[in-house]
Amino acid sequence: MGPCPQERVESNSNQFNGAGKVASGKRFRPRPLILLTALVALVPLLGCAPDAIQSTFGTAGPVAEKQLLLFNVLLWVMVAVFILVEGALLYSLVKFRRRPGDSLPVQVHGHTGLEITWTVIPTILILALGIWSVFTLFELKDPPATADGALEVTVTGHQWWWEFEYQDADGSGRFINTSNELIVPVGRPVNLLLNSDDVIHSFWVPKLAGKVDVVPTRNNRMWFQGDEIGSFYGQCAEFCGTAHALMKFQVHVLSEADYMNWVASYGQPPGTVEALTGTARKGQEIFMSNGACLACHTIEGVPGAMGVLGPNLTGLGNKQTFASGIMDLNRENLRRWLKNPNDVKPGNRMSEQAPVYQTPDGNINLTEKEVSALIEYLLSLK
Amino acid sequence: MAAITAAIPRPTSSATGIWSWLTTVDHKRIGVLYGVSAFILFLIGGIEAGVMRMQLMVPDSNLIDPDTYNAMFTMHGTTMIFMAIMPMGAAFFNFLIPLMIGARDVAFPRLNAFSYWVFLFGAIIMHVGFLVNAVPDAGWFSYANLTGIEYSPGAGLDYWAVSLQVLGVASLAAAFNFVVTIINMRAPGMSLMRMPLFVWMTLITSILLVLAFPVITVALIELTFDRLFGTVFFVTSAGGDPILWQHLFWVFGHPEVYILILPAMGIVSEILPTFSRKPLFGYPVVVFSGIVIGIMGWAVWSHHMFTTGLGPMALSVFTITTMLIAVPTGVKIFNWMGTLWGGSIEFKTPLLWSVGFIALFIVGGLSGVSHAVSPSDYQQQDTYYIVAHLHYVLFGGSLMGLFAGVYYWFPKLTGKFLNETWGKVHFWLWFVGMNITFFPMHFAGLNGMPRRIFTYGTEYGWDNMNLIASLGYMVLFVGALLFIVIVIQGVRNGKPAGHDPWDAPTLEWSISSPPPAYNFAEIPHVEGIDHYWIKKRKAEAEGNPITGPEAPVDPSTIHMPSPSYWPLVIAFGVAWIGGGLFIEIPWPYIKYPVCFVGGIIAFLGVIGWANEPAAAESHH
Repeated sequence: MGPCPQERVESNSNQFNGAGKVASGKRFRPRPLILLTALVALVPLLGCAPDAIQSTFGTAGPVAEKQLLLFNVLLWVMVAVFILVEGALLYSLVKFRRRPGDSLPVQVHGHTGLEITWTVIPTILILALGIWSVFTLFELKDPPATADGALEVTVTGHQWWWEFEYQDADGSGRFINTSNELIVPVGRPVNLLLNSDDVIHSFWVPKLAGKVDVVPTRNNRMWFQGDEIGSFYGQCAEFCGTAHALMKFQVHVLSEADYMNWVASYGQPPGTVEALTGTARKGQEIFMSNGACLACHTIEGVPGAMGVLGPNLTGLGNKQTFASGIMDLNRENLRRWLKNPNDVKPGNRMSEQAPVYQTPDGNINLTEKEVSALIEYLLSLK
Repeated sequence: MAAITAAIPRPTSSATGIWSWLTTVDHKRIGVLYGVSAFILFLIGGIEAGVMRMQLMVPDSNLIDPDTYNAMFTMHGTTMIFMAIMPMGAAFFNFLIPLMIGARDVAFPRLNAFSYWVFLFGAIIMHVGFLVNAVPDAGWFSYANLTGIEYSPGAGLDYWAVSLQVLGVASLAAAFNFVVTIINMRAPGMSLMRMPLFVWMTLITSILLVLAFPVITVALIELTFDRLFGTVFFVTSAGGDPILWQHLFWVFGHPEVYILILPAMGIVSEILPTFSRKPLFGYPVVVFSGIVIGIMGWAVWSHHMFTTGLGPMALSVFTITTMLIAVPTGVKIFNWMGTLWGGSIEFKTPLLWSVGFIALFIVGGLSGVSHAVSPSDYQQQDTYYIVAHLHYVLFGGSLMGLFAGVYYWFPKLTGKFLNETWGKVHFWLWFVGMNITFFPMHFAGLNGMPRRIFTYGTEYGWDNMNLIASLGYMVLFVGALLFIVIVIQGVRNGKPAGHDPWDAPTLEWSISSPPPAYNFAEIPHVEGIDHYWIKKRKAEAEGNPITGPEAPVDPSTIHMPSPSYWPLVIAFGVAWIGGGLFIEIPWPYIKYPVCFVGGIIAFLGVIGWANEPAAAESHH
């Protein structure tokens, strides 16, 4: 985790409180100032949150770590410059405030030496930081050559969800298409090819890597590596229309064994009719016929369910969230979503386009019982 | 031809009431029109910000729907940048430039009036969208291809593009006018290196405007043609390039940032010497750093695009250039502090605002360096960290500087003071409120909160920062209301200020307050950078100190341009060309002939303008 920017806050408050005293023409006394500084120092406790789930602090991979290192160094430089410059400003305001009977001050017009100094010193400082950032830029361009077994995933941004496609998930050519939850093995670089199906999005998982835009017509690339097992939160970072705020996703970093297990069990056993309970079987019928869900959604192993406009639903039952990471996967939430997706995620394409939602209030054109059956079916997809 | 001109006789300068304002070509009145309009638009933009802050005050809020929220941040950004801060700068250019360079008016007084009216009509077109439920909602940057007809089918973006185009005409007209005025109309003795700093910053700003606006004009034409006439500049499915928009937008957009900040820097450079009773420290260095900023401002635009995949080579270049632009900016700050150093600082309201400007601008400048570093910016781009940064620069910077100017020059404009005590209360409300509102946003951004999201869940840990920011907004809001009261009170019964209340060094303080229509009865002969100080101190040394303004003369002995209707007529025609696109007519294709009518009005206006006699016939 990085250092908290607490000095900055403290000095900021010094700055205006100090100036306040100047305005009232009193001497600058340190004691109340120290007290106030201490009080304001509490602010970073609230501000700096490496534990926050989407924080840029508390990184879990080399890319985010190097980016944070640069920021942390910059932060200390900023803090130092801030204290020096604001301090000097404050000092001159107090020291040179007008006193009764002041005569005209010495009319200084400039000082070449000083001016050269305060041009050259920042230039050197800035060039040093700049050169370091350039090295970091090139260093982070690709995974290190020594890293083994990079995983290749194609990311496609859609209004407003994420599609992840593995051409070869396990080294033996296993193809996987999934959405909104990216599963990767720990300690292996992941190369992403970023595509957009519509407008510009931006792929961002702060704890793993800074963002790269997902631009139609451009195949941007980025990589990251999860060094800790766990779930990491991400979100679209480029404004992309109505539901931009609800275009979330997660990256689950699993142990190598768990990852291979996930690949092997993905879509297995397929949601065939035989394997389903009675209610779920009813649900599948609705999915296939009067719900017409299959027009947009694919479920591996289910003949006919090959739509590609919406997220691939294979393995939905194994996920933690759905609807682009905005809700935990459970019966209650699924019911809310299915009954009227527009209430949950305004602007979503399913409400707009699916025949089953073309009702006056946008509610699903199915009975409660049918919705329940659909929920059972969706949860049975492993 | 002459018949067109004769159809509307040139009004005489004795016109009064509303007509005198509609036909005025007096730079001081146009300055007031700009200032008042910009402040009203500033309030509108501020209310839009308030709607956003109320929505984000608590997590999972349902106050407004996402489309409304998107419209709010789009209009907030667009309004504040193009219709509040820019015209506030223009208000100062108009009111001050002729007074500061010892001229009787600008080079092209009617063009000046024209620029104001076009600005006003442009702002109106932008806001008509609210009445017909077609509010732009793709952000003030309106990134392609979200702006394409496929993804934004409503008319909102047409309003946005056309209105910005119209506003651009206003900016260009004003910018040309000020470049010519400053180059040609300085009083004898005022060499370039004797110009007040504010005049220098206006000159640089105007040159930036002249060079930057054509770029956005091209981009807006391409966008409009894509939307209305089926071209495919940004339509990706037809091979159009969305990144092209970003380059065009930011090649304009980054110089625009300096267009917003340089006038405020000029104002502060005037106020600090006055209240520390010491000349500006290192005048030539401050001038040259301004010029360097103006030039380097063209070489940094891609730092707005660090995450678009330009590749490490391009990013390296823009990282270094962006970081380097901090040097001339820092130099300015050090020179301001050098001005204060060793001075005799009087804490009047204008000084307080200027010091606030410096203090807050430093914060914005430092956070700016942290995202000039592109690898670090990968985490900060499009987060609230950037929102915090830009508000420290634009609110803490530009706006504090502009308000410093309001408190400083109000006595010149009206002959009365704004209330000193309440002015200080206003300052502290805004200084404290601004920090409460925007400082927590640094944390929100670093903790992963993206910009332009209408809602957030409580699990992210952003609740407190957003609550604090929203409370801070309320403090700012109270400050804005207080300012209105202060101004009304000042205009009605402010304390009389005399012609030179601050013992200031520049020319405008040598004439009466408010200044006579002709400004200077006798064009002064400028003796140095701080001309009026030199003059006053010389007179004092000679034993007969200057106690009053330049003596008034009979206005009829001085030739001044007469008022004119034509600027208003042409501006109306120009606005009609754009606005005609939105007139709902049941027959297809008829709306383009409607636009053509605007062209005819503008054309007739130009003929009338060209043939207008230099002055109205005199009746005395």
